[in-house]
Amino acid sequence: MSSPATTAPETARPPETRRPPRIPLWANPRLGLVVLLVALVVLFTALRPAFLDTTLTLVPLQSDISVYAVVGLAQLAVLSLGHMNMAVGSMASMSAFAMGLAYDRLGVPLPVGLVIGLAAGALLGALAGLIISRTGVNSFVVTLAMDFALVGLITILYTRFTDGVAFSGQPAGMTTLRNDTFADYCMGEVCGPRIPLIAPIALVAALAVGLLFRYGRLGREILMTGANEKAAELSGIPTKRRVLQAHALSGLLAGLAGFLLAANNGAFSASIGDQFLLPSFLGPVLGGTLLAGGAVSVLGTVLGATLTQVIYKGLNLLQFQLDELKLYIGLVLLVALSLDRIRHVIGERRGARA
Amino acid sequence: MILSAEGLVKTFPGVRALDGATLRLAAGSVHALLGENGAGKSTLIKILTGVYRPDGGRVLMGGAEVHLAGPLDAQKAGIGVVHQERNLIPEFSVAENIVLHHLPRRFGLVDRPRMKAEARRCLDLLDLDLDPDMPVAGLSVAQAQLVEIAKALSVDSKVLLLDEPTASLTGDEADRLYGIVGKLRDNGHAVVLVSHKLEEVFAVADTVTVLRDGHTVADAEPLAGYTQDQVVDLMVGRAYASVRLPERRVDPETPAALRLREVSTARGHRDVSLSVRPGEILGLYGLVGAGRSELAKALLGLDRITSGTVEVHGRPVRIRDVGEALRRHRIGYVTENRKEEGLFLDQPITRNIGVTVWRSLARAGLVTERAERRVVEEYADRLGIKASSPRQLAGQLSGGNQQKVSLAKWLAARCEILIVDEPTVGIDVRTKAAFHELIAELAGEGLALLLISSDLPEIVTLADRIAVMNDLAVRGELLNDHDYGRMSQAIIRLIHGDAR
Repeated sequence: MSSPATTAPETARPPETRRPPRIPLWANPRLGLVVLLVALVVLFTALRPAFLDTTLTLVPLQSDISVYAVVGLAQLAVLSLGHMNMAVGSMASMSAFAMGLAYDRLGVPLPVGLVIGLAAGALLGALAGLIISRTGVNSFVVTLAMDFALVGLITILYTRFTDGVAFSGQPAGMTTLRNDTFADYCMGEVCGPRIPLIAPIALVAALAVGLLFRYGRLGREILMTGANEKAAELSGIPTKRRVLQAHALSGLLAGLAGFLLAANNGAFSASIGDQFLLPSFLGPVLGGTLLAGGAVSVLGTVLGATLTQVIYKGLNLLQFQLDELKLYIGLVLLVALSLDRIRHVIGERRGARA
Repeated sequence: MILSAEGLVKTFPGVRALDGATLRLAAGSVHALLGENGAGKSTLIKILTGVYRPDGGRVLMGGAEVHLAGPLDAQKAGIGVVHQERNLIPEFSVAENIVLHHLPRRFGLVDRPRMKAEARRCLDLLDLDLDPDMPVAGLSVAQAQLVEIAKALSVDSKVLLLDEPTASLTGDEADRLYGIVGKLRDNGHAVVLVSHKLEEVFAVADTVTVLRDGHTVADAEPLAGYTQDQVVDLMVGRAYASVRLPERRVDPETPAALRLREVSTARGHRDVSLSVRPGEILGLYGLVGAGRSELAKALLGLDRITSGTVEVHGRPVRIRDVGEALRRHRIGYVTENRKEEGLFLDQPITRNIGVTVWRSLARAGLVTERAERRVVEEYADRLGIKASSPRQLAGQLSGGNQQKVSLAKWLAARCEILIVDEPTVGIDVRTKAAFHELIAELAGEGLALLLISSDLPEIVTLADRIAVMNDLAVRGELLNDHDYGRMSQAIIRLIHGDAR
């Protein structure tokens, strides 16, 4: 194409036609989360100054956030498709079992066991993805059935290979990972911050998942499959493979979350993952990830997980009972989602009027 | 005048959709409401059905002013509407759908015998022999359309608005529908027909109102006084010269880019043989249901080919999916169903076009926004996609721009063979002409184009050769001499060939 018009200077274009349509800043769900977070921290600190106590609160809080951010990411990996993984907990548990077995019986070093565990998680996720993409059965149903089966299997396996509760053998470095913060490592006079050692693992996972969905061809194609599977297939995306891969990623991240929780608790036990399901949705949904698929927010998921854990920790410090905690977390979720919807509607109206 | 709307004004942010528009309907007439996309037709219809309230002007029914504050008011005033989209509940029966909004009740329960009698009465008005107990899901598209009309009539409508009623009907079904419209006219109804298909409008309507930029430029004029070209002139607002497409010459010695030899498919296609050369446009004409899109999809590996061979550049190939068709053979397919299959409506334009090129842009599996944007902007500029920004969502674009986006992704992927399926369905006259120029230009650049269309003027304007398909087989092939009268007759003869 050799048209003379293409030589016209680029500056001829009026700048205002280039600007993307921005939603107002206050309608951004991430910002809302940050505001809510700050408000809660201030509130809890005012009520219980111990909330800012490093050893008592902040370090364990960071560990918990690390675990549940990764749990949220595991769900986010399939929410990108508009799917669900009801088996995040049991996948984490199976993965933890594989790691525990490797450490206890084979005596492998820490990283090798981790890789084995992640592979087990990814394999289980891939299996779910395979069944979903081959049969076309709804992901909710498939993973729910799978969860049911795995929960049974886990009990059987732990009874067979352990005292029934947890593995006794542990790799070298496990206690360090559990107890140390970067403040325990010094270069001369300068010591690290009081951040638990597992936090950077979660951070790297979040960055990697963020990179994948924002710039990765694979991640983008998964999102397009979630946005419109038919159109994705007709655009040359191997949609069945992408479904399988997204579920494998979900299993892998569930496995990682299982590892982090085991590191936190100090044992590879049968109970790992049995509290994962609700938080896995809380993080992404609070953070603005659509259940319908096609759009995800990694930052939002991390913020959502942080908010949930802050509420948990705060109410705990205020000596609320476990049942009350659940009640309030549920209420906060309802309020947050309603506010989010209201914000969204108002934002749209503003946008339409602008 | 049974209905007259005078001086209607409706303003949306930044747009004056209606600016003193007028619509006057006489009882016992079929009235065509014409205008390009964006001329204000939909806004006018939405005012008459109580969806929008006008900022100015008034609506009179039988000389008395009516206030239409909601759809129920419009029903009470006697204005019924059949929208372009289906509005039936598939799981409900025909009778339930027809009387949905005014179910006859007894002791708080639905009075089923009365409901059925009422539905039967409406179906009889249309001479429709349907079982009222049948679920709507089991109806054909055409039958469902007629049930919608029955539903609109069930509220005793004196005015019936039909918005693109034949968009998804075959020729025969459309004829049947217009037969019924004629009957309604004879019964004293005023029927408003909104359609892009001017041939049909001229065959059916008595009077016409043309809207342009929110004004009425032809006010209830007898249609007999106009030719189609004159009406198009009124719609477009400038003397509309029918498109002069650049002359193209394809050397008949050029080997085919794509050739089908006696291809049969699992869908039931029998011994289809076709070929298209680089720089050539092969028109594939047929009515809805002839199996053209299905043939294209079989070609792309979405359906099984049971016998025969497909050759790309002379070499027999076996294509398993769209990705393989695209990457190995440079074949692209612009679907007829752009909203469901062609676009990601909730995604920005960049993603919609970029989706086919990420693989080639990716470095270590990662695609930078800059690389993507460069490609996307090149093709968006080239096709003249009008959007506030490349990040605008595809769902927010007009039909014509959506179609351009759906085409752009294949051009960006550097396809050499392009299958274009009903490229101008639901697109206004001016954009349609621009599209025709574009398609001809692409062929001029050496693309091999397979143009699937059931729009006769479009095929005769664009194609070099025309293959006519009916009932899953190619009935014959014609060399196009661009003489519309002669070509259209030859095509129709081929379609009905074995019937006569």
